[in-house]
Amino acid sequence: MKLDELTKGVFKQNPIFYLVLGLCPTLAVSTRVDNALGMSLGVFFVLVCSNVIISLFKHRIPPQVRIPCFIVIIASFVTIVDLFMHGYAPELHERLGIYLPLIVVNCIILGRAEAFASKKSVFDSFLDAVGMSIGFMLAIVGIALCRETLSSGKIAIFDYTIVPTFTQSPSVMMTLPPGAFLTIAVIMAMIKYKAIRKEGR
Amino acid sequence: MREEVKRILGIAIPLIIICIISGAALTATYGLTEERIEAVEQQKINESLSTIFLGASFTEMDDYYIATVSGEEIGYAFIAEGTGYGGTIRTMVGMYPNGTISGVSIISQSETPGLGTRIAEPDFTNQFSGKRIEGVRLRRDGGVIDAITGATISSRAITDIVRERAEVVMNETR
Repeated sequence: MKLDELTKGVFKQNPIFYLVLGLCPTLAVSTRVDNALGMSLGVFFVLVCSNVIISLFKHRIPPQVRIPCFIVIIASFVTIVDLFMHGYAPELHERLGIYLPLIVVNCIILGRAEAFASKKSVFDSFLDAVGMSIGFMLAIVGIALCRETLSSGKIAIFDYTIVPTFTQSPSVMMTLPPGAFLTIAVIMAMIKYKAIRKEGR
Repeated sequence: MREEVKRILGIAIPLIIICIISGAALTATYGLTEERIEAVEQQKINESLSTIFLGASFTEMDDYYIATVSGEEIGYAFIAEGTGYGGTIRTMVGMYPNGTISGVSIISQSETPGLGTRIAEPDFTNQFSGKRIEGVRLRRDGGVIDAITGATISSRAITDIVRERAEVVMNETR
């Protein structure tokens, strides 16, 4: 079932809420919805490219040095994203700051290379990467929606106001790391609660 | 012995090839984006220059700019950078020849979003305008700048960065 490789990353094996991978960028960049979208875009490009390339050369990469090979490939794509974003989306580049080059150490990407792309066919790896990226995007944008709403009292995506100001005294804590942990915990608890209910317990 | 060499090369050569290809790809990308990135950085500097001396033109010296309005020298602009709470803070500072700050504008910073990032807001940076460089300290350190609540380290960092660089430029231009 091909479609399954795509959809599993979005729901059943969502990288953030089920695999609990890639939490560092999720905690750091989910302060604003537009930052979260920019981050997702970077992860999408890097994950799809690295998964496809690694799957293409999986028989040529010696198992003893597979991790260095994966990292060199991933780091190259990250640097390419970094350079292009610096030149063509300087404002986003500025706001993502250090977390853009840190996509290299995003566990989702190395995790998918090691667990999936190095074993499966190129097309399956492509589907897996697209699904995982969409799952990552849904999770990080969802978290950012909660955090930006609560921490600034409004939501503005690339200067377009989505939710107008509804409070003058928002909670600063939501923009800090504890806010991210709380949001992730609450969402994860709700998902688990639903899963348990579904099992009829 | 020969077997051993073969085995090691079999492991090393694929990694070397991957590194060479990656290096080549990055060189190509760098070449493609270099000009564009330089333009972006230069534009940031130009924008901040024009906000601190409105309508002036600038002549670049070794490590500062001389601002002139219709041929007359009105002040100096320079980049001051140093370490803040979350990373490097880069600012553009304008100073009149008598040692008064004309304006400060943040070129780049990576402080805590929502707290430290408020050093880039006009409410904070406008405080510098018209202050003598000796007074560019936080109020609690004996100066005239009000810190941002919850971001004392960022606030102190930027006052130190601006003051220290301003003193150096003051000595150079004297």
